[in-house]
Amino acid sequence: PVEGSGDANCVDEILKEMTQSWPPPLTAIHTPCKTEPSKFPFPTKDSHPFPS
Amino acid sequence: QSTEFSSAIEMPDYIVKYTSLVSMDQRQSYKDDFNAEYDEYRQLHARVEGITRRFTQLDTQCRKLSPGTKEYQKVQEEVMKEYKKMKQHSPNYHEEKQRCEYLHNKLAHIKRLIADFDQRRAQAWC
Repeated sequence: PVEGSGDANCVDEILKEMTQSWPPPLTAIHTPCKTEPSKFPFPTKDSHPFPS
Repeated sequence: QSTEFSSAIEMPDYIVKYTSLVSMDQRQSYKDDFNAEYDEYRQLHARVEGITRRFTQLDTQCRKLSPGTKEYQKVQEEVMKEYKKMKQHSPNYHEEKQRCEYLHNKLAHIKRLIADFDQRRAQAWC
């Protein structure tokens, strides 16, 4: 067992170990979903279709 | 005092702890739990990703070169150097990687439950 070949085995082992596939990170959870569907800003006030 | 047979069941703790969602309060609390560990997860993930990328680069270089050449020897030495450096900077690399994998699965589980809940709610409105 020459020292060089031992190193080569070692390097092979290291590469095998250190290059295992790594999944992309999870993304964060997005904004809390709207509690009520009626939260849309309907412009109900101050909008008189027939100004007096 | 615990009557759990966790070793026999071999189920991750989060599977037991986080079950199907039924309320908005629960959704919020799951989300809080997710966010509480998300930063740690991202940090660990980025570190492992960086190290994996570096070694993958070296691996690719190695494969392009023929053994016995000077360049090949150089890259091999580089691998050893990089590995020693990694051991020095992150002596707990393997534990960190394992922790990150655990967090990944746990957070993915929580996220899936929340997504399922959101989907059910969305369908209920239609």
